[in-house]
Amino acid sequence: MEKPLKKDSIYKNDHITKVRKLLKGELGLLLILAVLIVTFMILSPYFFTSRNLLNITRQISITLIVAIGMTFVILTGEIDLSVGSLAALAGVAAAAAINATGSILIGIIAGLVMGFAMGAINGLLIVYGKVQSFIVTLAMLGIARGIALVWTGGKPISGLPISFGTMGAGYVGMVPVSTIIAAGVFLIAYYFMNRTKHGIYMRSIGANTEAAKLSAIPVKKYRIIAFLISGLLSGLGGILITSRLLSAQPTAAEGMELNVIAAVILGGASLSGGIGTILGTLLGAMVIGVIDNGMNLVGVSAFFQQIVKGIIILIAVMAKRGE
Amino acid sequence: MSDQKNDIGKTVLKLENIKKTFGGIQALKGVEFSLREGEVHALLGENGAGKSTLIKILTGVHKMDTGRILINDKAVEVDNPISARFKGIAAIYQELSLVESLNVAQNIYLGHEPVRNFFGAVDFKNILKKSLDYLQTFGIEINPNTLVQDLGMGEKRIVEIVKALSIDARILVLDEPTTGMSAAEIDTLFRIMDDMKKKSVNMIYITHHLEEVFRICDRASVFRDGENAGTFNISEVDSSTLVKAMLGKELKDEFTTRMGMAEPVEMLRVEGFRSERMSQPISFSLKRGEILGITGIIGAGKSELGLGLFGVDKKVEGQLYIKDVPVDIKTPIEAQNNAIAFIPEDRKELGLFLDLSVEHNITITNIDAVISKTLISKRKRAGMAQDTAERLKVKPNDIKMAAQNLSGGNQQKVVLGKWLSGNPEIIILDEPTRGIDVGAKSEIYKIIQNLADEGVSVIVLSAEFKEVNGICDRILVLRKGRIIEELTRENSSTEKILSAALGG
Repeated sequence: MEKPLKKDSIYKNDHITKVRKLLKGELGLLLILAVLIVTFMILSPYFFTSRNLLNITRQISITLIVAIGMTFVILTGEIDLSVGSLAALAGVAAAAAINATGSILIGIIAGLVMGFAMGAINGLLIVYGKVQSFIVTLAMLGIARGIALVWTGGKPISGLPISFGTMGAGYVGMVPVSTIIAAGVFLIAYYFMNRTKHGIYMRSIGANTEAAKLSAIPVKKYRIIAFLISGLLSGLGGILITSRLLSAQPTAAEGMELNVIAAVILGGASLSGGIGTILGTLLGAMVIGVIDNGMNLVGVSAFFQQIVKGIIILIAVMAKRGE
Repeated sequence: MSDQKNDIGKTVLKLENIKKTFGGIQALKGVEFSLREGEVHALLGENGAGKSTLIKILTGVHKMDTGRILINDKAVEVDNPISARFKGIAAIYQELSLVESLNVAQNIYLGHEPVRNFFGAVDFKNILKKSLDYLQTFGIEINPNTLVQDLGMGEKRIVEIVKALSIDARILVLDEPTTGMSAAEIDTLFRIMDDMKKKSVNMIYITHHLEEVFRICDRASVFRDGENAGTFNISEVDSSTLVKAMLGKELKDEFTTRMGMAEPVEMLRVEGFRSERMSQPISFSLKRGEILGITGIIGAGKSELGLGLFGVDKKVEGQLYIKDVPVDIKTPIEAQNNAIAFIPEDRKELGLFLDLSVEHNITITNIDAVISKTLISKRKRAGMAQDTAERLKVKPNDIKMAAQNLSGGNQQKVVLGKWLSGNPEIIILDEPTRGIDVGAKSEIYKIIQNLADEGVSVIVLSAEFKEVNGICDRILVLRKGRIIEELTRENSSTEKILSAALGG
């Protein structure tokens, strides 16, 4: 019953859809990024120097790492509001472990384990406790922050060895170490999402949970794994913050979840799940990084910056919705 | 069939030459229908005969392509459900539209609550009192203060009817109202319907149960292939006349004759099996390379059986044997490990990842096969998708296309392809051709027969009796969860299946 004419027209339409899709997705974001960069180039001569551009990559590295974890969570159709608090708690755990043992390696492991464990608690409560992720991670946002504050008595843990600062503040040549770490996380996550069954299963779950179940996908396992990844990468982010400041602040990364979710959504992910890419999240984080950095250089007041950022995010997301 | 034989009143509703096309498929081909004052008029017909489409046009859910609706001899426009309500047309669908967390009275008056002031404060005392009046008029013992979630299925349906009456519906459509009702509740329903008749509420009654038609209806219109194939006075006909009218003449050409046949080797044996949503335990066996049809009207328990066998619903009792080895299947993953595949009835909700590509959909159940070392090979994955898509003739031949852009028939092929790439030994198909056009249907039949010829055992769960009769080697007819008839290819006919399924 298929007429040849119809087939042709479907193909033609498909090319147009492909271009539209690209515009809606990564290409559109690239365009926005280009516009922002050109604008700031005109407004500030210092903006487009290699030194400043590398500086931007350092500034966005932590947001990007945590946002990559969030991408997996959002891909499965869930949300993780606890990332900022988990980062702070992991930073405190890392600092405490370093001070107790004198070993930086043990400190890093302690921070990662803390993030992983809290992510596991989130995932288990959501999947087996059958509570919505919004609620579980909102509660965890308070609980983890509270533990960090109680643990430290509200005061920063300092006196960390200078060499620990390399991770967050060091450079290899001109390239910041944290940029290199973020790039590594990006590459691993990119392959994990697109070239392993794990990523493909998580996307399926977000796209249609019932169909995923009937496709013999272990749905519960992968919903938990998404929160484990988010917890682990929040932990890594917390360690980097601690390293950069050479002290663990129990109040660090407050409100981080908003920037992180904004980066993922800017990157084209859908809050209802199934749609979203690691590359998109990278571009989303870059847009936010460029806005922050550029406005600082131009000298926009910190208060005003928030308004501008909010508006730009709204416009970017709405522009992608349209054609 | 004399039209003036009874002194039942004048015609209150007349539908003239109603036509409706959905994406190239003509669902209604010029339907004529009339409803008289004070009658209960049954709509009969197989699934897809056009009953629901007609009702949806009458209630403003769908827009007709051509035709006229006359109420009391005046042509009216029914553009949407709200305008239908204003014209006194109300429908009670199979899916209930009650708000579970509100009480009976609030539900009855939902959307037309009497308000006391500018701020919209609802006059609760008033609606409680009025609801109680309504319920008592019809002799229904339901406290209007009860939350709907605390009512049984039958009571909920009755509340739904009262809700329709509270807006003074003159024309009431009841779509399979006895689904899930106990015998006592059905008695109550019929008593209410008798009462309503006396209060000149005119009813259109859709059902698959012939005995109900003979109990409560005055006339019946039989739908077949988008047309009204005849209107009968119930007092003048018997059930076999109605069954014959529903079937029309049989078309054998849709189905190609099967080349191969079942091997005398048992593949699956089901002994006293019952899952949580099944009402009765069931036993049957399935041979290697056999196409077994399990049929019955909607609600007979076909889908529940399929979901139970595939490990979606929990097993309550009984035992499954695959190649004579007892197996315990608790999840779809375990079913897949036992080489069982399941193609669900609801393609869009349960079968497909609509936003994702054909490639993603086809390879998802067998992704392990395209991993080389640790990463998925893009080339192998695309190759698997391409091979399967070509084998099933998915059109257009573009594996990167999102599944939602395919036609229904091609979507169904993709769902099939999803499982075929894993080489299953048992395939359970739930309503494999629902909502797809004739051309795609015969392609699907061909695929099913080819699979069986290759030695795959196939279970077809279907309420389309012609289809079951046309493609299956053996047929089990279910009624209220029980196997009541077993037919083989040699002795089966659509008429036998239909009679057994309807119990008429």
